[in-house]
Amino acid sequence: MSLDWLSAYLIYALFTVAGTIGLAQLLHLQMGLAGIGNFGIVGFFGLGMYAWGVFQVRIPWPEALGDWGTFFLSLLMAVIVSGLAGVLIGWVISDLEGDGVLVGTLGFASIMYWLALSEKRWTGGAEGMAVPDPLRTFNWGVKPMSLFWLGVMLLLVVGITYYVARVHRSPYGRLLIAVGQNEALARSLGKPTFRTKLILFALGSAGMGLIGAVFGVMNHFIRPTEIGIEVTLAAMVGLVMGGSARVWGAIVGVLLTAGLFDIVVQIYLPLPDSWYQITLPVVREIFFGAMLILVLLWRPLGLLGDMRRDKLVERLGSG
Amino acid sequence: MAEATVTASAGRPHLRIEGAVKSFDGRVVVDVADLTLGGNPVEGLIGPNGAGKTTLMRMIMHSIKLDKGKVTFYPGDGSRGVAISSLPAHAMASLGVVKTNQVIQDFEKLTIWDSLLLAAARRREERPFRIFAEKRVWARNTAEIKCYLEEFPFANPYGFAKSAGEKKLLDILRCLLLRPKLLLLDEPTAGLPADVRDRVMQTIKKKAGDENVSVVIVEHDLNVIWTLSDYVHFMAEGSVLLQGDPAWIREHETVVEKYLGKGHVGH
Repeated sequence: MSLDWLSAYLIYALFTVAGTIGLAQLLHLQMGLAGIGNFGIVGFFGLGMYAWGVFQVRIPWPEALGDWGTFFLSLLMAVIVSGLAGVLIGWVISDLEGDGVLVGTLGFASIMYWLALSEKRWTGGAEGMAVPDPLRTFNWGVKPMSLFWLGVMLLLVVGITYYVARVHRSPYGRLLIAVGQNEALARSLGKPTFRTKLILFALGSAGMGLIGAVFGVMNHFIRPTEIGIEVTLAAMVGLVMGGSARVWGAIVGVLLTAGLFDIVVQIYLPLPDSWYQITLPVVREIFFGAMLILVLLWRPLGLLGDMRRDKLVERLGSG
Repeated sequence: MAEATVTASAGRPHLRIEGAVKSFDGRVVVDVADLTLGGNPVEGLIGPNGAGKTTLMRMIMHSIKLDKGKVTFYPGDGSRGVAISSLPAHAMASLGVVKTNQVIQDFEKLTIWDSLLLAAARRREERPFRIFAEKRVWARNTAEIKCYLEEFPFANPYGFAKSAGEKKLLDILRCLLLRPKLLLLDEPTAGLPADVRDRVMQTIKKKAGDENVSVVIVEHDLNVIWTLSDYVHFMAEGSVLLQGDPAWIREHETVVEKYLGKGHVGH
C-alpha cells in the first residue's frame, strides 16, 4: 500500500488536532461544567509527556519486561504522576476565585516548562531527549508508525468524548454543574464540593497527561518547545469557540481553529516556503486570538449556543 | 449526659446548643447558654430584628463559625448524639440536618427537575464513573418529585425557575427531598404567594406529624408562628429569653414589651 499521498506533516497535523480536541474535552468538564478555568492544561500535558519519557529512558527497567512492558509501565506512571499533580494543584486552587485559579494553573504550566529546561540530567534541557518507539521492532517505517499512533490518539479522543457525553446525562454531570454554579448551596445539599473538585482535577489532569505521553511517543522526541502556551491556547480557544453547550462544542471549535489553520491553510494554501518557519506560528496565534475576540463579541456562549438543559431534561424525563 | 436533660423529647430528632457564642467586631451577637431545638414537631423561633435568630441558624449550619460552644444533633432514633459543630458543612445533610435559605439561592444552569434530582440523588450515584446511573436516579425519585410538582405547580418544571417565588419554593422542595430529620426554615414565607405559602406550611406540618420530622421556623409573619407551632422560643439581644406555648408567649409581658408592642395584645 502506497502512503505517498499522505504527507508526514498531514499525519502530524491530524494528530495535533485530535490531541487538542481531547484536551478541549477534558477542559469542557473542568471549565464548561464545573466552572474551573484551568489555564495550566499544557502543564499537565507536558508533565505526562516528560514523565513518560523519563520513566522510559532514565529508569533501568529489567530486561525481562521487554519494549512493551517498559512502555506500558512508563505510560501508567505518566498517568499517575499527572493525576497526582492534578490533586496537588486542585488542592492549591480549591479556595481561590476565578482569577486566582487562572493565575495558579498558569503558574503551574510555567513551572513545568522551566523544569523541563533546567533539569538537564532528566529531561535533556533545551535540546530535549530522544525516546524510543516500541513499534520499532516491527520495522514498519516511519509513516505507518505515525499512523498507528494517530489511530491510538483518535481512539483515546473518541473515548474521552463518549465519557463527556455520558457525563452530561448522568448524576455526576449534574453535580459538576451544581458545584460550578453555587458551591455553598451544593454543600448545603450534602455535596462534598471540595472532594468533587479534587477528583475532577485529578481525572482531568491524568487524561491530559495521557494525551501528552502519547504525543511524546508519536513524536519520538521530547522538547520544551512542545509544551509552550500554544497548547493551552489551542484547547481553550477551541472550547470557547464551540461552546460548552454540548459535547460537539469542543470538536467543532477545534476543527474551526486548529483544524482550519494547521491542515487547510498550511497544506492546501499556496504559501511561500519562507513563511513556514517563523511567520506561520505567529500568524496562527494572531488567527486564534482574532477568532476568540470575534466569538466573544458575537457569540459569547460559543457557536453552538448555551446549554439546553431544559430540552435534555425533558428528554431524559420522558424516557 | 445530655440525653437525661431532654427526657420529654427523647423520641424526636433535636439539636442541643451549649455555650454557643458569636461576636462580630467585639459585639456579641449570639450568646446561647443551653438551648434544645426540635423537642416538638413544629417550633417557632421569634424575636426582633437583630436578635440573632438568623446568625444562630447559620452557626448551626456552619455557614458561620462558632467562637466557642458546641452543637450536638440527636437523631431521635435512640442513637447517640453527633457533635455537628466539628463536622464539615456537607456532612450535615446526610445526617438529616437541613436548612432552607433566607436569601434566594439557585443553580442558574440547572432546571427545576435537575435541582430536585440533585437533592434526591445519593452520593454513590454521583461518582465520576457512574455514567449510566441517570436512569436509576429518575426511576427511584420520579414518583416523589411528581407528587411535589403536582402539589406545587411550576410554569415549566423542565425549564428553569424564573420568578423569585419559584426559586424560593424550589429551595424548600430541595430541602424536603433531602429527607430531613430536623428541618430549619429561615423565613420560608418571604416571597411566596399566599396560597402557595399556606400549602407549603400544611405540607411541612404534615411531615412533622407523620414522619417525625422536627421543624424549626424563623419567621416574621407571626400568624404563621401562632397557627403552626407547638412551642416557641423567644430571642432578644442574642439570647433566648423565654420558651413556652405560643399562647403563653404571645401574652407574655417581656415579649410584648420587647417585640410585639402593647397594641398587639387582644388581637
